[in-house]
Amino acid sequence: MKSHLLRKDMIKELCLSVSAKWELYLPIEDLAGEIQFTRLNKRDKILIDRIRLDYKYLTIPPKVIVFPQLESLFEFRGTKIIETLKPRHKKILFGIHPCDAKGILFMNNFFKRDFKDIYYLNRALDTLLIVVGCNNPLDTCFCSSVKTGPFLTYSGDKEAADFDLQLTDLGKQYLVEIGSKRGEEFISIYAKFFTKASRGDVILARAIKHNAEKSININIDIKEVIKRFCEDDIPQHIYDRIAQRCIYCGGCLYVCPTCSCFNIFDEKIDKYGKRYRNWDACVFEGYTRQASGYNPRKEKGIRAARRYEHKLKYDYLTMGKSGCVGCGRCLVSCPVNIGMSQVIQEVLSA
Amino acid sequence: MRNEYIPRPAIIKSIKIETPDTKTYRVIFKDKIFARHFNYKPGQFIQVSILGIGECPISIASSPTQGRFLEFTVRAAGRLTRLIHQLNAGDRIYIRGPYGNPFPLNRAKNKDLYFIAGGIGLPPLRGVIVSALKKRANFGKIRILYGAKTPDELCFRDELDSWNRAPDTEVLLTVDKPDKNWKGNVGVVTTLWNKTNMNNSSGIAFVCGPPIMFKFVVDKLLASGFKDKNIYLTLERYMKCGIGKCGHCNIGEKFVCTDGPVFDYHSIKELPVKERVIF
Repeated sequence: MKSHLLRKDMIKELCLSVSAKWELYLPIEDLAGEIQFTRLNKRDKILIDRIRLDYKYLTIPPKVIVFPQLESLFEFRGTKIIETLKPRHKKILFGIHPCDAKGILFMNNFFKRDFKDIYYLNRALDTLLIVVGCNNPLDTCFCSSVKTGPFLTYSGDKEAADFDLQLTDLGKQYLVEIGSKRGEEFISIYAKFFTKASRGDVILARAIKHNAEKSININIDIKEVIKRFCEDDIPQHIYDRIAQRCIYCGGCLYVCPTCSCFNIFDEKIDKYGKRYRNWDACVFEGYTRQASGYNPRKEKGIRAARRYEHKLKYDYLTMGKSGCVGCGRCLVSCPVNIGMSQVIQEVLSA
Repeated sequence: MRNEYIPRPAIIKSIKIETPDTKTYRVIFKDKIFARHFNYKPGQFIQVSILGIGECPISIASSPTQGRFLEFTVRAAGRLTRLIHQLNAGDRIYIRGPYGNPFPLNRAKNKDLYFIAGGIGLPPLRGVIVSALKKRANFGKIRILYGAKTPDELCFRDELDSWNRAPDTEVLLTVDKPDKNWKGNVGVVTTLWNKTNMNNSSGIAFVCGPPIMFKFVVDKLLASGFKDKNIYLTLERYMKCGIGKCGHCNIGEKFVCTDGPVFDYHSIKELPVKERVIF
């Protein structure tokens, strides 16, 4: 497939132009210096200068755009229910890292299976993923082990693509690969911003990708890990040891690109109220506690087992792949230094 | 795509007090077209809510053969269920569903049926019992073994007698703590094994009760010749969405709300031991 070039000094203009027609989200540095996926409103002259496509790490994964931490399911006034579901609409996540893109694709499949979750799908299905690959992965990344980065590979099928477009940073410009029909259409609409890539550009990009992959420090044999989790009963004492360190804050799950558990609750003032859903975490003691007081996962060690086996065993059994995308956020965000990569190593060396 | 999260208003037609902390509600959906398309099978559950308070999963206790209404039995256990207990006939309640898989009564044709229930475990079985008795000729013998802590805590007491009078149908009751008037069996539900012939290699058993009861009942059934694929249990877990998304009811790779709540013992054996499906 023909690749294109996008000059970095064209990015602002491209984004301004795209923002006029699309709901466009980009990594934008806020006034506190934190980079988050933020909507770039039409002709926003302030945020346009705060786009940071070369970010190394996002604390909150872009899943928050398609699966907000808190969302209203409906409102009610007295006995009347007022629907708040938003219709499907097109949006772009511009600058999403490969692991996070894979996380969203994983969640798409989860929310599509059996009963369809219309709130999630209306947000996610028409979302264009413009991926920026990682030239310099962090020490905590292990995407190459789970095949979610540092760059994605074109699947060979434009209907089942992992990305719509993928950008590789070549210094002053990006090499742009097309992954899907939607990506192809995007390029043709905004053709004036793109030029044809030369063979040299493609070779340079290949070298950058190769070096990025080689620079990753954590290497895990994920097939072996999944086999271990699926075939063996991991001894409970390993989880109990993790449980002793874990403070059960749920942070690792909130920042996980594939965690999708939620709670549903009501709020009411006088006759007016809302039913919401918000992120929940399986490590919380109340997560499985029934009204009678009975709790099948009362002990911390059992909850620790659930948290890791869900990703490495049950996700594999139901979705056909590891639920961990190797982003390393659980390790980075953990106050007591537990992370998926470490847990895997502990299990393998046991 | 259907919006599964929007509940439908229903009106409480009648309320029956079952036990000191348990009531059965009969409700009819306000929207008649919706009511006509609300098809369920016994064993399935609904999400019942009071707007502004919350929502909880409750088993359907009625059988669709009874008419265009729904019945469900609620024990006042938490904040929402205590508030449901304060509602009166004519009040509005919100319902969505039905969810989960039913008891496979179609698999039980011409077979002997055994219902084993403990305490508030009878309501989820009651719809299947009613359906089976309605087509009595389709099944072999029917045995209903039901235990509760005290005689006061037996649900559907007014129906137990009429079930017992159906042809080749026997209802056996037991309580842990009898009162002065109790003339029946005393002991846990498995002590009823001495009261009737339970040996059966082709019988179908439907079991519902507290988790602690499952192990003893399943052991007894297996010892009586029941095949593990012919023993059906209905599981209870904390649930929020009812459609396999929120995660709360997961056990291993299964979701109780969509893969269950009715499971045969063969598949329950495959679930992780640490999840304590069966003690």
